[in-house]
Formats: sequence, C-alpha cells, structure tokens
Amino acid sequence: MEEKKAQILEKLQKVFPEISETKNDFPYNRVDLRIEKNKIPAILFYLKDEMGYKHLVHITCVDWLEEGKFEVIFIVWSPVDKIKVFVKTFLDRNNPVMDNVDMIWRQANTYERELREMFGIQFEGLVAPKEFILEDWDDMPPMRRDFDTEAYARKRFFARPGREDARDVRQTIAERTGEEIPDFAKKYSR
Amino acid sequence: MSFFNLRGTLKPLTSLKQFAKKPHTIEFPLEVPETSPRYRGLHYNNLDYCIGCGNCSTICQNAAIDMVPVEGIEPKKGDSGLRPRIDNGRCCWCALCVEVCPTGSLSLTKDYIFVSEDPDEFLWTPGVDNPDGINLISFTSSPETSLNEYQRVPMRELDGSERVKSFAEVVLGYNEDEARKEAQRCISCGLCTEACPDHMHIPEYINAIAQGNDEDAIRIIYDNNPLPEMCGKVCTRRCEEVCAIAKRGEPVAIRWLKRYATERAINADMIKEIVNPEILPPNGYKVGIVGAGPSGLTAGYYLALRGFDVTIYEAHDKPGGMTMYGIPKYRLPLESLMKQVDYMKKVGVKFHFNTKVGKDISFEEIYEKFDAVFVGVGFGKPWTLGIEGEDLEGSSQAVYFLERINSGEIINVGYKVVVIGGGNVAIDAARVSRRLGAEVVMLYRRRVEDMPADWEEIEGAEAEGVEIIPQAIPIKIHGENGKVKAVEYLKAEMVPDPKGGRPRPQPIEGSNTIIECSSVFAAIGQQGDYSFIDESKFKDAIKIERGRFIVNEIQQTTLEKVFAGGDAVNRTADAISAIADGYRAVRGIEKFLMGKGK
Repeated sequence: MEEKKAQILEKLQKVFPEISETKNDFPYNRVDLRIEKNKIPAILFYLKDEMGYKHLVHITCVDWLEEGKFEVIFIVWSPVDKIKVFVKTFLDRNNPVMDNVDMIWRQANTYERELREMFGIQFEGLVAPKEFILEDWDDMPPMRRDFDTEAYARKRFFARPGREDARDVRQTIAERTGEEIPDFAKKYSR
Repeated sequence: MSFFNLRGTLKPLTSLKQFAKKPHTIEFPLEVPETSPRYRGLHYNNLDYCIGCGNCSTICQNAAIDMVPVEGIEPKKGDSGLRPRIDNGRCCWCALCVEVCPTGSLSLTKDYIFVSEDPDEFLWTPGVDNPDGINLISFTSSPETSLNEYQRVPMRELDGSERVKSFAEVVLGYNEDEARKEAQRCISCGLCTEACPDHMHIPEYINAIAQGNDEDAIRIIYDNNPLPEMCGKVCTRRCEEVCAIAKRGEPVAIRWLKRYATERAINADMIKEIVNPEILPPNGYKVGIVGAGPSGLTAGYYLALRGFDVTIYEAHDKPGGMTMYGIPKYRLPLESLMKQVDYMKKVGVKFHFNTKVGKDISFEEIYEKFDAVFVGVGFGKPWTLGIEGEDLEGSSQAVYFLERINSGEIINVGYKVVVIGGGNVAIDAARVSRRLGAEVVMLYRRRVEDMPADWEEIEGAEAEGVEIIPQAIPIKIHGENGKVKAVEYLKAEMVPDPKGGRPRPQPIEGSNTIIECSSVFAAIGQQGDYSFIDESKFKDAIKIERGRFIVNEIQQTTLEKVFAGGDAVNRTADAISAIADGYRAVRGIEKFLMGKGK
C-alpha cells in the first residue's frame, strides 16, 4: 500500500506541478495534498476520470481564524486502490470564493450548500435553494470560530424564571475571603 | 387464460419463508433495547467529588448551567460549596460540561426520559434531584479524553551532580513558550485564592500570562504582594494543593508562573515603571516597623503607598529577615530579593539597617516617636537539642550556620556533617553543607513521610547525595580535644499515639549507633526573641501566649498602637502568611489611625 500511495502522489505531481504540499506518513490508507483553489475542479476531474477515484466521501472545512484562512478539504476514494485522497486548499477568510464542483459529483451540491450556510463559503455557479438547515438566519455563519454561540443563545432564548439565584464562583470565593479584586484585573476573571 | 394462472393463488404462500425469522415488529412482552455504551442522556453529578469550580457553567454554550448553593454542602478550602444546576430545556447534550469537568464528577447517564407538564420542573440539580443516576452513568471523561491538560510543563533544573559544585540557582525557570503553555492549563476557577493566606488574584494573573500580557500580570501580582519574586521561588504554595486540575493530574505550576512574570521585570526601575502605583499624598501619620522580614516589608510598602511615613528598623545589614538569612542562595539569589527592596525604597520606605531594637534603639523610643508600630520580628532564636556535648566546637544551630553562610562567610564544616531535624531549615543546612564539599547525614526522629519539609526539597537533597536516616533520636555528641568527633543516636520505632495524633517515635533501648563526623547542625525549630519588649515598660501591656503575640482580626495586639505579624503571630510559619499578616495590618493601621482622625 505504501508503494501505491507514493505512486499516486508521484503521478499527480507530474500532471499538477502546482501541488504545494503533500503528506504521506499516515499509518493507514490516506494521502494528503494541497493545491491552489483554481486547480481544484481540474484535479478532481483527473482523479475521477483518469485514476478511478470515483467516490466523493466528504467535503468539509476548517476555520483557521488566527491565520485568516479557510481550509476546504475534498476526500475522494477509489474502490480499486482502496485509498483515500485528501485534496486540500486554502481560501481567504475575508473573501471565501471558489469554483462549484457539483458537475463532477451531483451529491457535492448538498455539501456545498452546507458549507455555504455554516461557513459562508461561496461556490461560484452553485444552483441550490438559499436555505439548508437554518431558517431565517441573519447572523454570522454559525460554524465560524468567531461566532459566539453562548451570546447567541442568551440573546435568542429567554432565561426561565427561577434561575436568578445563580452565583459566580470567583465572586463567591472573593466575597468569602474578603479578597478585593482590582478593577484593572477584572477583565482577566472568568 | 388467467383462469389457469395459479400465480395469484400460490404467491401468498411465499411469505412462509419468513416463518422462522425474527419479526421486525415490537415484541411482546415489550423489550427495551439497551442504550449505546457512551449514550449522552440526563446529567448526574457526584456531589462528593464535585468541588464547585464552575467550569461546566462557563463552557456551556447554551447558558444552561448555573452554580447554586446546595443544602448540606459546606464551603471549605478547595470547594466553593456551589453545585451545578441544569436547565434541561436548554441543554443540547453536547457533553462539553463533562469533557471539561476537572474532577470527573459530572457525567451523563443512560436515562433520557423525563416527562413533565410543568416547564419549571426541567430545572434541576444533578446528583441532588436524581441520586439514583449513579447506577446509570454512561458518558464520562477520563484524564486521557478530557479537554483539560493534566500534565504540567516540566521545569528545567540543574542536575544533582552539577548542583553540589556551586550555589548557582537550581531551578532554571520557564521560558516564554513554556509559561504560556502552562498558564493555559488554568481553568480560572479561583479555588486557589481561598487557600492562599494572602488571597492573591491567581486566576487573573495566570490569565494575563496566558494571553501574553506579562505587564498586566505583574501589576495584578503587586496588588497585594510586594515580594512576589521571593514567593515565586520559595513559596510553600498552598494554592497548588487545592488546584482543581490536581484532582486528576498535576496542579497548575502557580508558583513557577508567578516567578516567570516577576522575572520579566529585571530591575527596580522596571518594576516601578510597570507597576506604576498610585502613591497617595502624605497624610501626616508616621509608622515604625520593627524587623524587615516579609511581614514588615509588606506593611511598609503598602503603608507608604497609602501616604504614611514609614521607617523600618532591622538588626541585620540586609533586609529580608529569614528569607534573606535563612534561605540558601541556590533557592533564592540575593539579587531577586534586593531588587524588590530597592523598588520599595523607590516608593518611599525608609530603612535603618544594623539597628537592633532593644539594643541600639529602645522600644519605648519607637513607641513614642510613631503613631503606630508594627512588630514583625519573626522566630530568630533556635531551640537547642538539650543533649550532652552540644557546646563543642563544630556543633551549632542550623539557623546560625545558614545566617553566616548567607552573609558571605566561608565556613569549614570538615569531611562529614550530621544535620538533626526534618524541616526545611534542616534540609537547607544539609544541602548547603553538601555544596561545601562535605558528606551529609540527616537524622530525623520520625519517618521520611512525616518530614515537615517540602517533598521537592527532600527529593532535591536526595538527588544531591544527602543521606537521610529516619527514626533516629540523637542522645549524645562525642568530642575530642573540645571538637565534635561523633554523634550517638538511638533507633526509634513508631508507636500509635493514644490521643489519635500522628504516630510517635519510641526509642529502642540498646540500639545505640555512632556516626563519626566533623560538624553537627541542629534544626529542630525556632522561637521568638521578645527581650526588647520584656525589657521595656510594655511587658505587661502586650500579651504573649505560648511564644506568640495575641492579635485581633486586624493584627492589633493588646496594646492598641502596636500591631504584629509574621511567624511571631501565625502558626503556619511561612513567608506568604507573613505577607498576608503585613497586608492585613496595613488595613488595620489605616482603620486605626484614619478612623480616629487627627
């Protein structure tokens, strides 16, 4: 299997010299590669039509908030090779636009709708109903890491009466011991 | 024709092939299938393990968890007394609360059926309202799967064989990356602040370090501790004993993090620049302080900030008291203490060194001269062994030995040193002797696990080649030509204390053993030296009981102008308690002087 994995990468790198980063040291049937976003349809077509990777396993996304990037990951599988190929690409977090790939696999349409709704990624040419799961959503896409779920929950759902006696642990202890937390330190309290 | 077609007649009979198969429909009698092994149902909280840290309440993304007092659970050190109450109407069973629970008390059960017409009944306290949940636990967290980090970032130290060559500092301190990583382990519950005698703002400064804001951390630390670098190196760290993370792992290295933060300020000017304290204009009151130990320095610093005119009298030529003369320099280098005292001088504290109260200046004079007096004289006088041969040359008290070493004297201890005692002073004397090139044997009358010294110190001594002989009671020091030649001791066996205390050593008759040696240091405890009060006219006015001053909750002695703190008052006998006493006395003195008005 190790040989086959190396061969796949070698073949792909020959056809797509734009492949910037590969990872092949997984102990199981997985190879990773990274490529720029405008080559995604080409490499997926090539994997499907030329190399027999005809099954689309998943499309997912990772939010790299600190680096200002989204990472979109396509996982494809070949029933002959029995190997999973992870095709990864980075998008600009401020302008997350990439090509639609649902002409390669029809079911990609559903994944793309999900990513559009949960991360706000726009797939150019995607034809799909506007909403996926969220109804009348007017906030930030909720799977983005800077979306504050707790603040949303507090805003959206009223607190039941009977919860007013809740106490803050830090404050309770400070009151008990007579500790005076200075004002400039309070922003670091939990 | 269709008349001869038997298909319609025979077709129903094909269903007979399903006859022996298990039906897909509900069975009778009804059989409830078992839930999956990690099923996430209703919460259960083991009230005995829960410490009320509130981490579950903080993590809950639906704001479903409140911390509330529960009847029958008393708050104590290391337990806030609060327990989580869950609004099941909001819960989405994501189980994040279980994953971040540091103690593992909170878990989810297999039970997922709760029916009620009253929406208010969905608000209940797990463990209190469903005590039978303990038998149904299904989703739990373990240190391996938990989202908390249970392993401490290891501290780099000098190797044992390297240490004995010099008085270089043993612990090397965290670098920036290590400190940030260690600080991020803290869950900011604040249980530690209750255990700290001085109630330092621990979660706040650790969070500041975790967020990369060391200057804020220094400001927060200096809010109620003017000697943090000393504490960062040698504190007894009661805080780490109650750390929530310590319930299933290693406590957050609070002491090393404080050390990291304070070491960012490399000199007194830099401390002043960073802390930039608000110094109130002089209010006309004068306060005299006897003793420049931790309690005296603390009182002096905060009184100076509040506009008092502060003068400290110290018998030695350097400040710090026991922390300067009792703690060896490989644990607390001279410069880290002097840096902080220099900073105090900058905020206006006045020092008179080499001025022993009772000898160079009388206590009456100080009493008359100042509006209030703070006495932080500590325990300077060691107990003697009370055995034969104690006054031979080469036999002395460990405190005096450390004091001489720390003042820069070079002492020849000979080829072999016997240290008697099992506290931190004894270990310090042993490790110092090791650095002077001698073999060292420690005699302690109880077992190693009963030793009052810090376990880190005991391990450190062993790593440096100190031999510890437990259950040994010295009975005689043998001499030759007026010099120490050997120590004779009896082996002891541990007998249970009939009063229920810790087991007591009982000497075994005839088990006399003799160790040849060149020096003997006794470290069996110290007591206060209050001769300066006894010789003054206040002998009866200031009440001293069992070697300690009697004080009220604001550190005021029975003579209303005199306040006291430190070892001479509290029973915990460590630097941080002395600092706490000093800080309390500041508020006491302020209340006493400002309250009556001038």
